[in-house]
Amino acid sequence: MTTKDIANYESFSLINSVTDLSHKINKLFASDLLSNVMGNTAEDDCLITMLNNINVIGVASLNDLSCVIFSQGIVVKKELIDKANELNIPLFTTKFSTVEAIIALSKWDKK
Amino acid sequence: MSDFLEEYPIERNDIGNAGTIASLTKRELKKRGFNPDFIKRVTIGVYEAEINVVIHSYGGFTKVHISDDFCEIKFVDRGPGIPNIEDAMQAGFSTASPYAIENGFGAGMGLPNIKAVSDEMTLESTEEGTTLSMKYYKNQ
Repeated sequence: MTTKDIANYESFSLINSVTDLSHKINKLFASDLLSNVMGNTAEDDCLITMLNNINVIGVASLNDLSCVIFSQGIVVKKELIDKANELNIPLFTTKFSTVEAIIALSKWDKK
Repeated sequence: MSDFLEEYPIERNDIGNAGTIASLTKRELKKRGFNPDFIKRVTIGVYEAEINVVIHSYGGFTKVHISDDFCEIKFVDRGPGIPNIEDAMQAGFSTASPYAIENGFGAGMGLPNIKAVSDEMTLESTEEGTTLSMKYYKNQ
């Protein structure tokens, strides 16, 4: 699965202006605690979170994550979108809960 | 290559800039050709320590020293100190403020994570301040 596959999935919307969506996704990782994300993600992982905070983008950049998905339909703050554009990190939103998003993407990946 | 020695200030509650030192350190390690696992260990440790100074202290500074075969980072803050280091080292123990928790911090994993990723870690604390040193060796 790549970030382009997520962009093509109707329940997920790309919300920033990153044009390169060729990043391969290593694994899905869900957490709203940044220490947990920092210590347990690896390069090319996809983070699913409800944490609407600029440090999410910082951690995504530090750990070279492929993208971030904000669950439960939250309206992502502009400062996160601007920072993610600067760092070339695709951001998505979905109305799915975090668990629903994991299930949906796992099924999609097995197609 | 000559050693990299830098000192960075850290401001209290400056959550917007938290992670900057970890990012700069990571960039320098990459430039010097350290392997990805080493870089990841150092980045995690620096990030966690940086966050601790931001959310728990009155502010302080960091000294980063990168040599050909090791990396040593010292964090010094101006208090109020850690009342019980043994408690603070337990995974899940946290005294973080609601402000820190709202921002995704305060899981109580900072110091245990640093201990886990570093090769050497020393922590000293009084009401006047806390000093945390961590060292990473290239070949361990």
